[in-house]
Amino acid sequence: MTAALRLADTPEHRSNRGLAIHVRGLSKSFENGPSVIRGLDLTIPAGQFVAVVGRSGCGKSTLLRLILGLEAPTSGRIALDGAEPSKRIMFQEPRLLPWARVADNVAVGLSRDIGKADRKARALDVLREVGLAEKAGQWPATLSGGQRQRVALARALVSRPALLALDEPLGALDALTRIEMQAMIERIWEAQGFTAILVTHDVAEAVAMADRILVIEEGAIALDVDVDVPRPRRRGDPALAELEGRILDRLLRNGA
Amino acid sequence: MADSAAIRSLPGRARTLEAAPKPAPRFDAGRLLPWLLPTLVILGWQAAASLGLVSTRFMPAPLDVAAAGWRLAQTGELFENLWVSFARAASGFLIGGGIGLFFGLANGLSRLSERLTDTSLQMVRNVPHLSLIPLVILWFGIDEEAKLFLVALGVFFPIYANTLHGIRSVDPQLIEMGRVYGMNRRELFWRVVLPGALPSIFVGVRYALGIMWLTLIVAETISANSGLGYMAMQAREFMLVDVVVLAILIYAALGKLADSLTRALERACLSWNPAYRNT
Repeated sequence: MTAALRLADTPEHRSNRGLAIHVRGLSKSFENGPSVIRGLDLTIPAGQFVAVVGRSGCGKSTLLRLILGLEAPTSGRIALDGAEPSKRIMFQEPRLLPWARVADNVAVGLSRDIGKADRKARALDVLREVGLAEKAGQWPATLSGGQRQRVALARALVSRPALLALDEPLGALDALTRIEMQAMIERIWEAQGFTAILVTHDVAEAVAMADRILVIEEGAIALDVDVDVPRPRRRGDPALAELEGRILDRLLRNGA
Repeated sequence: MADSAAIRSLPGRARTLEAAPKPAPRFDAGRLLPWLLPTLVILGWQAAASLGLVSTRFMPAPLDVAAAGWRLAQTGELFENLWVSFARAASGFLIGGGIGLFFGLANGLSRLSERLTDTSLQMVRNVPHLSLIPLVILWFGIDEEAKLFLVALGVFFPIYANTLHGIRSVDPQLIEMGRVYGMNRRELFWRVVLPGALPSIFVGVRYALGIMWLTLIVAETISANSGLGYMAMQAREFMLVDVVVLAILIYAALGKLADSLTRALERACLSWNPAYRNT
């Protein structure tokens, strides 16, 4: 692998790779509608893996988009602190360009002032990391759904972002592929040390992957728990199940 | 081959299971199938003419038509007229298509442009362009500009409408992805919007090619002193029915050629799309 792409960083380097996020008094409402986010305060230390769970329409995706700068807050402040403020997002759909080959799609994630040969090399490197190196020259239409999401992940990671946002990226995949991809994302996060924010409605997924879980209810944080279970985490671990149960109780209590 | 040698060394009955020799590469008859019907029609036509079932004054036999074609090719008349017609068609197509493409892109990308021009363009569209022929003759005479104008006008709208539609129907999720991943407007256009609109643009091109031929044929028949249509009209004046039929057949062949070229271009540009891979 090229020196420019050390996928396993040393611990010191790792801890200040990610962005720290400070949110103060954040509010957001759309076009004279009701507030989707209400006076939210949040601090995410660099390199943390945070999962945001909540019912549909609770504002979790909006919070993600606000942090990424895709939406402007109605009031409040968001500050991103870190060596390089690079952020990338992985959407629920792969959103690959159908008319570009897989390697070119991955290269979309790279900044424009990187030379052509270098782009190819880095795209191939990251495709190898997600296990799709042999598909580099194929059209996206020939890939399965899980493979396309892996390409999307590669595209998000190729520029080695300091913040990776994941907006329900695994929702459309079958259960086994989902578990494999969770393990892959966790492995890469551990190696690279970026800050990760995962928005998901699957509490099991949140509990398996994250250091910390935020439950959003009606635009405010209803619950903020740390997941103290050491990695690598086993599915079926009773500690995880207990936490999942607690969170689900909280989520389902106000709906039922 | 190793297998047959091994098999031949087996005793008795086992030998009957010897692998069949590889069949010689068959001529793929399936590719000729589309031509079966036209061929039968021509054969039937020739038979009817030779047997005197149809008077050759009304419908010349295929062989007569071929003979006329040969004759005209010899004098150079055929190729001259062919070239003139082709040049007119191509120029008109490029002009009308170019303007259509420009407005399609402009109105697709800019709300202001669309609000300014779309209504006027729709009004122009609703006037059947062939009905303008008397006016065109009045303005332009029967010179080249007249035909160019008509072809350009006919070709303009299909390309405009389909380009506009293509731009409008580019997946907004892809555009958002492009923006989020740092593409500026220029990159968004060349990497996301234009390739996304391309299938629609090709539809417009195919449709416009049909209209181009139609317009050219009519324009040349009514007001020309060269070209295929002129050749056919002269033949009609002098009752050379075989030349008339020849001209018609050439129009058909040229139309088919244009369509095939477009399909080849489509296959080259749109090979990423599974829907186009097997055409």
